[in-house]
Amino acid sequence: MCIQALKGKKGARLGETIVVSVKEALPNGKAKKGNVYRAVVVRAAMQRGRCDGSEVKFDDNACVLVDKQGQPIGTRVFGPVPHELRKKNHVKILTLAQHIA
Amino acid sequence: MWAALRSRLLQPSPPSLLNQQWKLGFAGLGRCLSTSGAESVGDRGLLDLQEVEKVLSDVKADDVRVIPAGKHFDWADYMVVATGRSTWHVKNIAQALIYKAKQKQKGARHIILPSVEGQDSGKWIVVDSGKVIVHALDEKARAYYDLENLWTAEPPQKESKQDLDKAFVKIRPKNNSKKPAKIST
Repeated sequence: MCIQALKGKKGARLGETIVVSVKEALPNGKAKKGNVYRAVVVRAAMQRGRCDGSEVKFDDNACVLVDKQGQPIGTRVFGPVPHELRKKNHVKILTLAQHIA
Repeated sequence: MWAALRSRLLQPSPPSLLNQQWKLGFAGLGRCLSTSGAESVGDRGLLDLQEVEKVLSDVKADDVRVIPAGKHFDWADYMVVATGRSTWHVKNIAQALIYKAKQKQKGARHIILPSVEGQDSGKWIVVDSGKVIVHALDEKARAYYDLENLWTAEPPQKESKQDLDKAFVKIRPKNNSKKPAKIST
């Protein structure tokens, strides 16, 4: 669950970092319930305009847990991720992703 | 002069130009790169595979693997994975690549540096220079993330495409009502 956006009062969009707390966790996962981590938004239901005028939007909101230095905590990222992460310097998440939208 | 340069660069390979425009947006020039920056789009600052290999062998990076990533990515051709012996070594690898890119562009008007991620911690540093992406990890990170397995396995996207084709077949609805079907003209 999102606590707040890291930069900006108005909220975070696709590709930005947020502060989250874990509400549900698998018992043998790396993230424990109740811990506070940072996360990068990878899918958002709000449309995001692209350079060429097209817009991207996804069906769900999703984020990838990241530690304070920006290293992803998990080893794989499921579901599609957009190109915008490359410009925001999240190439690591792009390389771990299965499918790039 | 601008127009001549622009036309010369835009003619040979339009798709790769788009890719480079995507990439160069990071330099703070704004999201959409204007065509006045087309002069610096040429491959001067971006590293080639041979240069990357030479730099990595100079720095004595362990276990360098090159993975052709054309199937997975449109915007990158090669992924290079290298291991460093310690965090300092990993940072050194990244610094050496940036230095090489700077040297390549000595005397140019705009210097385009490859973007670096993870510079603060020495565990995983990614140097993104257009076509070639270099990952510098340390031993533990390499075992943890296991990037080679991820990239050498075939991407299973072909099955989902077939399902989509079937899904778009139009089926005529059955008319179970007592009224006769309307004949559309």
